[in-house]
Amino acid sequence: MRGPSLAVKGGILLAAVFVALKFVLPLLTAPLPMSLIYLYLFLTIIGIVVYGTLSGESTEALLGPIFRFLSGEGIGGAVKSARLAVLVLFPLLVGWQTYGGLAPNTQPPAESRTIHPAPPGEFVGLSNPLPNTPENVMMGTGLYAAYCLPCHGPKFNGNGAASDGFNPPPANFADPGTIAMLQESYLFWRIKKGGVGLSVEGHPWKSAMPRWEVELSDDQIWKIIMAEYAGAGQKPRTWE
Amino acid sequence: MRTVPLRYRAAALLAVAVGLLWVAPALSQETVVVRAKLIQGEVPTDPAAPIWNTIAATEFPMSPQVHWQKRIGSVTAKSVKVRGVHNNKQIAFMVEYADPTQDPADAAALEFMVGDKKAHFAHGQPMGQVEGGPVNIWYWRNDTPAAADMSAQGFGTLKKQAQQDVQAKAVWKDEKTKVTFKERKLSLRKDPKGEVVKDPQTGNPIVDEDTKVAEQEVSGVWRVVFTRALTTTDKEDVQIQPGTFPNVAFAVWDGKKLESGDLKEAGSQKAVSSWWYINAEPPPDYSIYLYGLIAVVLAAGVEFVIIRKVKKGQPA
Ligand code: HEC
Repeated sequence: MRGPSLAVKGGILLAAVFVALKFVLPLLTAPLPMSLIYLYLFLTIIGIVVYGTLSGESTEALLGPIFRFLSGEGIGGAVKSARLAVLVLFPLLVGWQTYGGLAPNTQPPAESRTIHPAPPGEFVGLSNPLPNTPENVMMGTGLYAAYCLPCHGPKFNGNGAASDGFNPPPANFADPGTIAMLQESYLFWRIKKGGVGLSVEGHPWKSAMPRWEVELSDDQIWKIIMAEYAGAGQKPRTWE
Repeated sequence: MRTVPLRYRAAALLAVAVGLLWVAPALSQETVVVRAKLIQGEVPTDPAAPIWNTIAATEFPMSPQVHWQKRIGSVTAKSVKVRGVHNNKQIAFMVEYADPTQDPADAAALEFMVGDKKAHFAHGQPMGQVEGGPVNIWYWRNDTPAAADMSAQGFGTLKKQAQQDVQAKAVWKDEKTKVTFKERKLSLRKDPKGEVVKDPQTGNPIVDEDTKVAEQEVSGVWRVVFTRALTTTDKEDVQIQPGTFPNVAFAVWDGKKLESGDLKEAGSQKAVSSWWYINAEPPPDYSIYLYGLIAVVLAAGVEFVIIRKVKKGQPA
């Protein structure tokens, strides 16, 4: 039995690439702009054509079905209706894309913010100067309760009573994607300089994270860092 | 009747699924943008104007201001519902929120970024690595008949602008309204015997948190309508171009007098939000439909030519 022809396989590949880029990828990471998706589809088509035209036989395998499909000769039944559908849908799709490209944006610009931009050099590689003693952790916990708990919450999960109005929301320290993947030095920077200390990729203008150097000493910040890890049940990242 | 082959049914299903994915965002409830609808005629300056009933509101949760000193632990306004309309010249926003008492010092404000530079939502305070811009604040207070058109760039720099361009009109009504907010309950974890459970590592009691979205009925509603020209001649003002998405932030003060004589909320002690968006609906541009149609005709033409060529080139 012959398998599906090269043209059909190519079509399936093209559809699969589109579905993967447009719908599957956004589940994992930031969505790709449509222009980039078209570029990838275009490259896929080139690949298929190059592969298909390597030999006379494969050229026929690639183009033959396409030609027959287009001309409508020698096909029948369901394929014939499919041909009609394609011939009708294609101009409509082009029209729709043109409309979509010109129509005013109805959604705010996608502003993807880098959650963990690089810290300034002076905050790289600092280590906590205070010993991790129960007293220090306890003092840190007290400071956390007074200063951080309204936003980051009693459970260290960002669900404080004052968290609702802020976008982005306060960080969830219990989530493995926040302090567990950071070094203490990084936290020290973030707490001392706050949201306004972020670089432009971090969108400092949106962050409600206060600049604590105004109110807390360095020692207090180091104690809070210990308390944060203890309370959230996490360990700072170290480079071993 | 002939049965449809499985693969066509599968293809149809796939098409439906893809279509649904496409329209789903359009159907979802608006949560990040205040959409100012384009209307004919005057924009309503009165909160009681019937047109407001036809405009969908976007509800934004509010936080007690704990970002900088002086902080406040809890506030009256848990959320604001905001609507907008414009007529290509004037724009009106109605901020609606629950407040059980009407007090002279009750107040509300909208904040915008001015110019191309980003501004921090807290009064455009300076940012460490990014050069920020100023903010424009539209402020209304119950005991002051006129709205204030203000500017700030950093804490302590708030000032009334030389050129006042904003109007406001507010009405408080003793009517019932529903507010949705997150309700959080903390409780000590107890074992079946009623003993407090302790963390084996730290020895501290374990606290459980229960968060749910609650709906509460409150009596007393403020509706505050701010109006301004979309664009002004004042460099210190936000300029609103239809179709764009300028940022907006909200603030509300419950000016109720406490027994101590102090106001419940005043100055930096207020309900706040960070940045969201407004969008003044752009005027319909029918040429887009025309271009779409031209594209359809062109594509059909190209299709026709290709098929002709293919038919000619193929042995019949
Ligand atoms: C007004 C609310 C608020 C308060 C109070 C607050 N934070 Fe934050 N914090 C935030 C927000 C919002 C973010 C997320 C945005 C950002 O990263 O800047 C954040 C982020 C952080 C991060 C970065 C986590 C990461 O994964 O990058 C740390 C660390 C942090 N906060 C520590 C603290 C500490 C310690 C305190 C108390 C001294 C505190 N915060 C008080 C709002 C707050």
